[in-house]
Amino acid sequence: MRARLPVAIVALASIGAAFVLLPVVALFVRAPWSRLGEALSGVGASTALRLSIEVSLAATAISVLVGVPLAWVLARGEFPGRNLLRAVVVLPILLPPVVGGVGLLVALGRSGLVGRWLHDVFGIQLTFTTAGAVLATTFVSMPLVVLATEAGLRGLDRRYERAAAAMGGSPWYVFRRVTLPMVAPQLAAGAVLTWARALGEFGATITFAGNLAGRTQTMPLAVYEARQVDPGGAIVLSLILVVISVAVLVTLGGRLTGLR
Amino acid sequence: MLAVRRAAVLFAVAVVSVGCSSSSTSTSSAAATTPLTVFAASSLTKAFTQIGQDFHTADPDVTVTFDFGSSTDLASQILSEGTADVFGSASGTAMDTLQSAPGVTDRTNFATNRLVIITPPDNPAGVTSVNDLARSGVKLVLAAEGVPVGDYARQALKNAGILAQATANVVSNEDDDASVVAKVTSGDADAAIVYTSDVASAGNTVRSVPIPSAVNVIATYPIAVVGGSAYPDQAKAFLDYVVGPTGQATLATFGFGPPSG
Repeated sequence: MRARLPVAIVALASIGAAFVLLPVVALFVRAPWSRLGEALSGVGASTALRLSIEVSLAATAISVLVGVPLAWVLARGEFPGRNLLRAVVVLPILLPPVVGGVGLLVALGRSGLVGRWLHDVFGIQLTFTTAGAVLATTFVSMPLVVLATEAGLRGLDRRYERAAAAMGGSPWYVFRRVTLPMVAPQLAAGAVLTWARALGEFGATITFAGNLAGRTQTMPLAVYEARQVDPGGAIVLSLILVVISVAVLVTLGGRLTGLR
Repeated sequence: MLAVRRAAVLFAVAVVSVGCSSSSTSTSSAAATTPLTVFAASSLTKAFTQIGQDFHTADPDVTVTFDFGSSTDLASQILSEGTADVFGSASGTAMDTLQSAPGVTDRTNFATNRLVIITPPDNPAGVTSVNDLARSGVKLVLAAEGVPVGDYARQALKNAGILAQATANVVSNEDDDASVVAKVTSGDADAAIVYTSDVASAGNTVRSVPIPSAVNVIATYPIAVVGGSAYPDQAKAFLDYVVGPTGQATLATFGFGPPSG
């Protein structure tokens, strides 16, 4: 016999579910279906979508490249200040993205602490460039792959690594051929979360990199700008992001929600 | 790990409370006063904040809260949500969109503004005239199309005959006037086109380059009481205060011209 759920819990749960679902439904209801093609071309959807995919993939690649070693240091390193380092790494999750953008601006902008030097010595200006959008996005989304991978590393049975090392494997070889394959599921889940977060990044990007179609205007920025001149177009752009997000959820299914 | 989590929670609380305290620009927190909500163009931020404080001093029973942003954006918010009592717009077009619904009353022009070029103080691209904005490699920031100051700026560039070359130099289309200024004060943009009132507000964090009258665009600012306001009398009083001598003097201090142009 199935236990009956208390009515109060069911009622509150229904409110919670409806609260999340309603805006998504409203986007579908209010979308300008009759002039969909026109709305799509009017707001430059394909340009923004292509840039969004490029920027989010680049940000994910950088996040994995430096985030996985970071996770390894956090999980395996024995040094003072490790907890402090972890707090610093997680900080972008808690910070409002616009704060990240302002921080990047005073650090890497043309007059920033490091940016001034980059500009004067190498002639490099990151603001208003696609590279700048990638940096801003990476700042915001990297913690997710670090946290997921670190959790994976902590849960590993270390006897496999010790055995590999005992048989003469170098630390690099053991990391590559034993450790990495064993944390692959957590790493992959973390990378997907990082990518999803990167796809939705807005505040840090517009603050640091600006907003220019084809260069720094990713989908969320295009949605924001479209509101002013073409609210219907903004809905169409939003729907594209909804569809992508749902597709990711469906593809990954339980693997994503079963994380932890 | 527990320590980290506790620190994280503390930090999150700090962030949230900072976010809350800065999100509204209410001039007083007295409980029994009439809360008047004024939507106003981003370019009016400093002038209206001052006028709001003066108005509250003159009439302590009314507390004015502002929502500053792009006039186009604010107009569409009023259209869909109708939460404003007074709307001070940077363009007649944005005000026009409210004419039929929810309707506006006592509409009157209360200020004018002109366009000016701003550069960082060290003027890295050597911009000395409007024609320099057409020079290849100048990093120009404008407000997006649809934002009044963005449309006015494009009109001025068109008047100068350099619209195509200058828009090819645009590195960012910002969402409102204040964001455009921020890109220059941070030193990242070489030049931007904003209102003369922005220069009065920004002080020596920017350098200004005049745009000749022949190609300049005069922005006329209308103000009106929004239909359906819960406090129409107080809204009218605020409007009269803005149009009256004290409001006009404050607007002049912040670089605005008189409504006649």
